[in-house]
Amino acid sequence: MDKITAKYEQKRAALLPVLHFVQVKEGLISSDAEQNIAEYLSIPVVHVHEVVSFYHLFRQTPEGKYHFSVCQTIACALRGSEEIIEHIQSRLGIKPGETTPDGKFSLSVVECLGACETAPVMQGNKEYIGCLNKKKIDEIIDQEK
Amino acid sequence: MPNLTIDGQQLEVPAGTTIIQAAKKLGISIPHYCYHPALPVAGNCRICMVEVEKQPKLQISCYTPVAEGMVVRTDSPKVLEARKTILEFLLVNHPLDCPVCDQSGECKLQDYYMKHGLYNSRLADVKVKKDKKAFSIGPTVMLDQERCILCTRCVRFTENITKTNELGIFSRGDHSQLDIYPGRQLDNNYSGNVVDICPVGALTDKDFRFKCRVWYLAGTKSICPGCSMGCNITVEWDKSRPHEYKKARVMRLKPRLNTDVNNYWICDKGRYNYHFIDENRILHPQLNDELISLDQALDVMVKTIAPLKEAKRLNRIGVLASAQLTNEDLFVIRKLFKDALPGVGLDFRVPEALGDSDDLLIKADKNPNTAGALSILQPDGDVGAIVQKAKSGELDLLYVFGHDLVKLLGVESVKQIAKSIKLFVFQGSNVHETCSYAHLNLPSSVYAEKEGTFTNCQLRVQRIRTAFPALEDAKADWQIVAMLGEKLGTPLSYKNSQEIFKDLAATIAPFSGMTYESIADQGIVLKA
Amino acid sequence: MEKVVSRHFGQDSTQSFVNYLKDNGYRAARKALTEMTPAGVIDEVKNSNLRGLGGAGFPTGLKWSFIPKDNPKPKYLVVNADEGEPGTFKDKYILEQDPHALIEGIIITCFAIQSHKAYVYVRGEYAKAFGSLQNAVNEAYKAGFLGAGIMGTGFNIDVVVHPGAGAYICGEETGLLESLEGKKGFPRLKPPFPAVVGLFGCPTVINNVETIACVPPIINKGSEWYVQLGCAKNGGNRLFCVSGHVQRPGIYELPLGTPLREIIYDHAGGILKGRQLKAVIPGGISAPVLTPDQIDVKMDFDSLKAIGSMAGSGGVVVMDETTDMVFAAMVAARFFAHESCGQCSPCREGSGWVYRNLKRIYEGTARPYDLINLAGIVNNIGGNTICAFGDAVTMCLSSYVSKFRHEFESKIKGRVCNTN
Repeated sequence: MDKITAKYEQKRAALLPVLHFVQVKEGLISSDAEQNIAEYLSIPVVHVHEVVSFYHLFRQTPEGKYHFSVCQTIACALRGSEEIIEHIQSRLGIKPGETTPDGKFSLSVVECLGACETAPVMQGNKEYIGCLNKKKIDEIIDQEK
Repeated sequence: MPNLTIDGQQLEVPAGTTIIQAAKKLGISIPHYCYHPALPVAGNCRICMVEVEKQPKLQISCYTPVAEGMVVRTDSPKVLEARKTILEFLLVNHPLDCPVCDQSGECKLQDYYMKHGLYNSRLADVKVKKDKKAFSIGPTVMLDQERCILCTRCVRFTENITKTNELGIFSRGDHSQLDIYPGRQLDNNYSGNVVDICPVGALTDKDFRFKCRVWYLAGTKSICPGCSMGCNITVEWDKSRPHEYKKARVMRLKPRLNTDVNNYWICDKGRYNYHFIDENRILHPQLNDELISLDQALDVMVKTIAPLKEAKRLNRIGVLASAQLTNEDLFVIRKLFKDALPGVGLDFRVPEALGDSDDLLIKADKNPNTAGALSILQPDGDVGAIVQKAKSGELDLLYVFGHDLVKLLGVESVKQIAKSIKLFVFQGSNVHETCSYAHLNLPSSVYAEKEGTFTNCQLRVQRIRTAFPALEDAKADWQIVAMLGEKLGTPLSYKNSQEIFKDLAATIAPFSGMTYESIADQGIVLKA
Repeated sequence: MEKVVSRHFGQDSTQSFVNYLKDNGYRAARKALTEMTPAGVIDEVKNSNLRGLGGAGFPTGLKWSFIPKDNPKPKYLVVNADEGEPGTFKDKYILEQDPHALIEGIIITCFAIQSHKAYVYVRGEYAKAFGSLQNAVNEAYKAGFLGAGIMGTGFNIDVVVHPGAGAYICGEETGLLESLEGKKGFPRLKPPFPAVVGLFGCPTVINNVETIACVPPIINKGSEWYVQLGCAKNGGNRLFCVSGHVQRPGIYELPLGTPLREIIYDHAGGILKGRQLKAVIPGGISAPVLTPDQIDVKMDFDSLKAIGSMAGSGGVVVMDETTDMVFAAMVAARFFAHESCGQCSPCREGSGWVYRNLKRIYEGTARPYDLINLAGIVNNIGGNTICAFGDAVTMCLSSYVSKFRHEFESKIKGRVCNTN
């Protein structure tokens, strides 16, 4: 983490990359992690928590092993994102924001991912997958089950 | 210094002044939520928008600095419409809690709506719900997230004034929530101030919760007696609905603005230290187990003092005055026990440990008038000697003002004094352990029941004022001493505290030239 | 038509550094550093009519000239790769397929404003683009194009690639600065503007990825050439992002001033399944929607402003006859409600309120009163906020309500009257 903070003129500016680093390692940002990061960067812990709660890529609860992040903004909405979301919900039995009981899948609905040319689009874990249809969704679910 | 015009009135102000500050100088009050003179500017509520000539958009007056030749209107149709707009947005998700909200009657949403709103609601949607309603975030403060208008005053307070950083705004958009960091408490020494600065009922005082509707309260200007800082306060008491809340009169204390002393703030100890005004009072003079009249009580004292005066053995009298007394109390005590009865052992400097202190307002000296006592009594003995004499039977009379000697000297010493001394007199406002050892207890009034002055650690003389009459037989300390003096042949016939102060100012050099009028609400520092 | 920014797209991205060097790579940077003055570079970019391609279209050279020269504080260049404007995906291509073009542009820009440190703020979701750029930056350092005394000159420059974490508002200049400083992305009160008080309180230039990537060609081939590519006061080409109901959604590099009709029908292959056009967003979701009778407009900043819309980020979203415009408006409102930072009251409360109102209209449970109110409420947000997000909400949503009013009305008249 020192390598990260060394790049910035003010230690506090390293907060976002440090949080990403911790989340990759631990799967989420725990309250303990917030306290440690606050100490490390010499900032009040309440400010770390404000940042974690403001940016929606930071989580404080674990995701499923495979996380669907489906875009619902205009280009994807025009090309059928609503049916895709519906389909994932009915196949997995969960609503946006939820995880399957076996912990294998979770779903969230997000705003524009910047891949409108392949709408409808989602991120499967970190990977961009476009030109979605029900068949593709089924394939992914069957593969990751 | 730029010249500008606001609502047709011209004025000149220092460069860097914002429009809202300049308007205040003209007596024009622009509505605002997030702006607070003692906190950094946030500019997020947007209700302080005004019209600035040549600018196409309205500008927020809390942030925009004045410029030479600027022409501002705070009352144009555009501005009035904008205020309605902002109010409407703030009220969209605000819960209709007025009937159960303590802020009612002093709520800035209510006040501005009645003055600048008065529109028909066009909300047909469900309001946004938040997690915490009626949630305790510490020993003194209650949080209601739905009522919060996210002005961030409280966040800026804990960031910049107390620098304790307990509060934050989490999440974003209309789901933003004011909250305390999970697992922490809002327990710094100034936590109660966030309730003062919260413009709505999001942060409310637990001590005051549901106690009294604010329109029943009267306010009396006074000074906190908790330490030598002498923070300016307003004593708020129930004037028109004594609704049997423990038969208490005082409902709460609020800090009063004094830019030279406490600014807008008061510490929690001072804020919540008012229950003694109504609880556990000494109400009647008591000789051992018998309640007697004040006249009878003073006669008992005269019976001991007069022969000593005759026999020129006044050194058998000890008087422990107090830095809790007002300048007026102390001056009358001096006139009797120093000037009229020379030889009496008179001092006030009891052996008390210094308390906690900090960089903000809290002072280690927990007495409001040490500087006054030093200046007026000019003691040349010491309390230790007086106490020693009392214990060893060399005193016939020990006259104690307010001190809990059991706490200061230990119960054995007090027992010994009570045994060895002919007349042990305690005069105070509240009952404590020493009262049960004193032979004679006299009831005095508390600071909120009398006129007077305190001298703080800055040597600033500040006024306390009478909020309500003293309870039962209690009287101001100076009144009791004056009556005693009368009986001893020393007429101290002051009609009121103001007359005493006049005499005091003429006698004690550092006070010279001061009057109650000149002290006014902000106080005056003693002459060197 | 000569390709400028997209000239290296479609090549093997593992060879991008080698290919870039082969194609006059870093020649412009060397030219600027060794043959030109900082003021000279600013003038050249001013003369090229290059305008900010992130959304506001502010003349780039002019923006650079606002950096105070006598200010002793260090200067910063911040490259905005937050690309969150719905309908926009061009910067992703530059970062993934030609990152060295951006790096060379950064070098020249830093030289022009006398900055020695540049940050590239890449949106958190763009993991691939982040990796590609970081890789290119490492390559550049290794080859002596970044670091101390680059290319044998005395000029020092450092570049840090910085990740966002999922907040559209961090694409707003001062929201980005706040985020870069490790805080919530709350846009700042202005003035002061970033050119005077920016990153860490120092003079800062913030430019979009594509804008900076245009700089090396301008230095190589001259401002006059760049002016000629485009149209009056709008120099050069831009990457138009076409999506929605078209045959061939994708990136199209075309001159500024290309008619919208040409973009939709000639380049993107026209409407899917041969259907009719119903509406089109010309420049990202914030841009007021256009109707079919307006698509002969020239796609440059001034022409689009003149017809009441904006060129914005170049995100063209095409809607065909099957599109429910109330649905489209609701999707836009939902986007704004989710992305409002929540700092100021009109946007925070207003964006959520407007979305809930539109949702009810879309679902058919709204009363006539709601439609009358909608326009009023929407208009109250813009003009009263800390940043242009509030203005975008107003501009965007009021264009749907005014241009497709009959669709909104029909959803309300169609409601079965329920006396319960």
